[in-house]
Amino acid sequence: MLIPDLTQTIVAPASAQGGGAIAVVRLSGPEAFKIASAFLKPSSIFKTPKTRFSYFLRAEENGRLLDNTVVTLYRAPKSYTGDDMAEISCHGSPFIISRLLRLAISNGAREARPGEFTLRAFMNGKLDLAQAEAVNDLIISENESAHRAAITQVAGGISNRIGKLRAGLIALLGELEVRLDDSYEELPELDPGTFRRRAAAAAAGIKNLADSFGRGRYLKHGIRVTIAGAPNSGKSSLLNRITETRRAIVSPRAGTTRDTLEETLTLSGLKVIFTDTAGIDPRTGGPIEREGMRRALKALKTADVILWVQDLSKKSSPADRRVGKAIARGAAPGSDLIKVFNKSDLPAAGRPEDETDGGIIVSCKTGAGISGLKRRLVRDEKKAFSAGSAAVITSARHYSALLNAHSELSSLERLRIRAGTFPFELAAEHLRGALNALADILGETTPEEVLANIFANFCVGK
Amino acid sequence: MPYFNYPVIFDVLVVGGGHAGCEAALAAAGLGMKTLLLTQDLDTIAQMSCNPSIGGVGKGQIVREIDALGGRMAAVADLSALSAHMLNTSRGAAVRSPRVQCDKRMYQSAMKHSLELAGNLALAQDEAAQIWTEGSALRGVITARNTRYRSKTVILTTGTFLKGVIHIGLSSFRGGRYNHPPSDGLSPSLEALGFKLGRLKTGTPMRLNGRSIDFSKCEEQKPDEPPPPLSHFTGRHGRKLLSCWITRTGERSAGIIRANLHRSPLYSGRIKAAGPRYCPSIEDKIVKFPHHPTHILFLEPEGFDTGEYYVNGLSTSLPEEVQLELLHSVNGLERAELIRAAYAIEYDYSLPVQLDYNLEAKLLPGLFMAGQINGTTGYEEAAAQGLMAGINASLKVRGGDPFILGRDEAYIGVMIDDLISKGVDEPYRIFTSRAEFRLLLRQDNADLRLMPHGFRLGLIPGKFKKNFERYQNAVERSGSRREPQKHGAEKRPQRADDDMAPWTRAGAEACGRITKEYGGYITRNLREAERMKHFEHVRIPEKLDLSAVKGLCLESRQQFLKIRPRTLAQAARIPGVTPADIQLLWVHVTRKLRPPQADGVSRRDEG
Repeated sequence: MLIPDLTQTIVAPASAQGGGAIAVVRLSGPEAFKIASAFLKPSSIFKTPKTRFSYFLRAEENGRLLDNTVVTLYRAPKSYTGDDMAEISCHGSPFIISRLLRLAISNGAREARPGEFTLRAFMNGKLDLAQAEAVNDLIISENESAHRAAITQVAGGISNRIGKLRAGLIALLGELEVRLDDSYEELPELDPGTFRRRAAAAAAGIKNLADSFGRGRYLKHGIRVTIAGAPNSGKSSLLNRITETRRAIVSPRAGTTRDTLEETLTLSGLKVIFTDTAGIDPRTGGPIEREGMRRALKALKTADVILWVQDLSKKSSPADRRVGKAIARGAAPGSDLIKVFNKSDLPAAGRPEDETDGGIIVSCKTGAGISGLKRRLVRDEKKAFSAGSAAVITSARHYSALLNAHSELSSLERLRIRAGTFPFELAAEHLRGALNALADILGETTPEEVLANIFANFCVGK
Repeated sequence: MPYFNYPVIFDVLVVGGGHAGCEAALAAAGLGMKTLLLTQDLDTIAQMSCNPSIGGVGKGQIVREIDALGGRMAAVADLSALSAHMLNTSRGAAVRSPRVQCDKRMYQSAMKHSLELAGNLALAQDEAAQIWTEGSALRGVITARNTRYRSKTVILTTGTFLKGVIHIGLSSFRGGRYNHPPSDGLSPSLEALGFKLGRLKTGTPMRLNGRSIDFSKCEEQKPDEPPPPLSHFTGRHGRKLLSCWITRTGERSAGIIRANLHRSPLYSGRIKAAGPRYCPSIEDKIVKFPHHPTHILFLEPEGFDTGEYYVNGLSTSLPEEVQLELLHSVNGLERAELIRAAYAIEYDYSLPVQLDYNLEAKLLPGLFMAGQINGTTGYEEAAAQGLMAGINASLKVRGGDPFILGRDEAYIGVMIDDLISKGVDEPYRIFTSRAEFRLLLRQDNADLRLMPHGFRLGLIPGKFKKNFERYQNAVERSGSRREPQKHGAEKRPQRADDDMAPWTRAGAEACGRITKEYGGYITRNLREAERMKHFEHVRIPEKLDLSAVKGLCLESRQQFLKIRPRTLAQAARIPGVTPADIQLLWVHVTRKLRPPQADGVSRRDEG
């Protein structure tokens, strides 16, 4: 889709990038109000929207308040673009901006191309010739900044991954096209099971990548880290060691911490909010301990990162396993789990290696391993934001392209791909659709590329 | 030497009597143009220099399209059919394609006879040696015998003849086809006019004497019964069709090729021109796919009254003695007599990006090109371009709008757009994978898609119009019906199909059913096609200075200047162009086109 579809609803931040107290996200197109009503509450105001009128609305994500916003509505043609338009003024956090974009996109909008609002204004006759002189300049400069973002390491890495997914789709399409176009039918029949599996794997790869944007990275709102573990594994000691305070009361007795406790710290310029929790062991304690555990489980749900603290000096206990189960049940999808093995100063209990694999070994007593843990906590966030807020934009575009590609592959999976009823040409339609979706990021997949893949991999022709 | 100025001024002069030339001449003559077909040799009109077969995947759709626009190819192929198959029957209806094998001589003489019978069409046997121009204006053609034919338009359909060189093993000689002289004059003439030429390569496999083939060792491939016709106007004919035969190369064949690769002009570097990747020589297959133990070969009869067999799959340019050894290594061909050796041929083509959508040269108005000269391969591809060039040359003489088919309308539209927007770097063949609207471009609806154009242009006789409309209605009715009327329909006496001949009710039912089955997909194709059509209408004026578009990336700028897209949609299809480039171009074009008053109005709107 090289030429932007002006009948689609588009979304993008309209305010200058790089922070500021207030930011504006602009939504424009025939579906603008419908899409806005899906996450701006109360949605009743969209039934009879007044034009050029501002509302205080809550931006909600999955029923949770994301931000309090001021939304100005413009009805076509009396708007900047000439289409229905909503301008959402929110707090200027890249986190909030990226979540708003995501909400708009998952409800049917698409990320605007550089300069596309102005392009629409121009095409709808809202700009005169003199003003139009500026349109090209705008497209050029926005395209350049988007390009700069794209060549930064992070976005480049993502483009690389998308490039690989695209190559996989082309190979899959080649399997179909070669069998449609080679009339000699010398090739072995394509096994429907294998094809289904490969298509499912491609879909999963795309889903994974799309989900990784969902974790949204949070300059101003901070990263929520919940410290969880069995009683007496050293959670509070860990909090004290990381924050270098004696904020939490520690004692050798299990069950010292009964309530959750929050502490904020700045790590590599990122805000990190730690929550220390009561030990999770459903079999112990009276009403106060149980309430403490209830709060601990709640803290698991809201965590971006969970630190699961275990005692390295003891063998894995039933309590540890119960914590593992509670985390598996309670953690928010997409949250990050880091296993922390405490008490490395004591003689080790000889846990098998695969149990500690990928975990971080620390000693709260001596401080060993703590700086590694801190680096690990902000590693992904640092990467995600090293490109500045432009990376958020780029990711939003990637996100919407991946979402569309994934929906094509889901349709493909619903086809009856079995021996005898393998609808090659329909499966090909969906693969082409998925590749078209990725065209927004990587450019068009031309038939020549598919043919080149075929000629390289199949012996075709007379 | 003095010129003989031929005493007639023609409207359309067609150079070449191959598949492109025949359709070009017939279309122009049919549209009432005073037409001349000039060929080196009238006896080789419509010669099938390679495989005597018409149709195939993608190509079959093109032949049906040619037929729906009044071309002759399909009807002549049906008339001379000796075997016929519907391909891809195991796949969906959208990709099914008919293929007909022809009696080579019968095809030629039937086509030649069509030309002879056509009113307004003169035939002449002479070699075109030079494009005749005066100043920057096209005058006609000057022949090798120094005759000057004056014509308002000229269509070049020179096939593989421009500076043709034939290779068998390491020996090579000049020729446009085996034993036919090349055409050496036109290339320099075109270059002098400023055309850029390139060089391509193709080839043809060996022919055998059928008497010497052991068919008992081959697998029989029976023709479809009844044979699927290519033409919408062909009824059933009762002729008994012939079988083809299948055999395979083996390990020994591969060994022979490997041992002799240094004697192949392709592998020794003697042939530098690009050949088609989809039609590789047997040496290519063995080298590139060493893990394939065998390669399939089809033995196809070349006619009813000849014993000659075409070996489909054994294209090679190895020396004759290696060809013979190779042949005898194949099951069933141990004692086969090689009566014509396989050969490769190199020839000049003119870069097709120098043409406009009506196949007219941008450099020299009035000069059209069609077929292999545009870098394509295949009889069907050539015939389709010939037909389009014939129609468009006529429309130019008449003073009408050019006739251009969209990518959503016809494979012909896909092909011409590809040629003009992207150019070629190997001989271009149509594939269904080239069509983004594949589900719309089926062989079963070629008539529904294109015949209305055929009637409008006057290429399909008006007497068919009523029946065609009845057929159209029948298709629509059958498509909209929810359930096939099971019992009622059977009980009611079947009405004869006479009122819609040559179409049938069964055909209408089948077409309606396919449309219904693809339902949502067709809607999706149509919607996207509609969107693209909008941008086909965003025209880029010829005189617009594309170098003045600010901010284009370097590659896009070069591509735009080279190809000079005529519409925004075409610009978007050029490889390497980015979305931002398209927006920049879009704004630039719109700005140049918008009348100042419109802006005044919009300002009031805003206020």
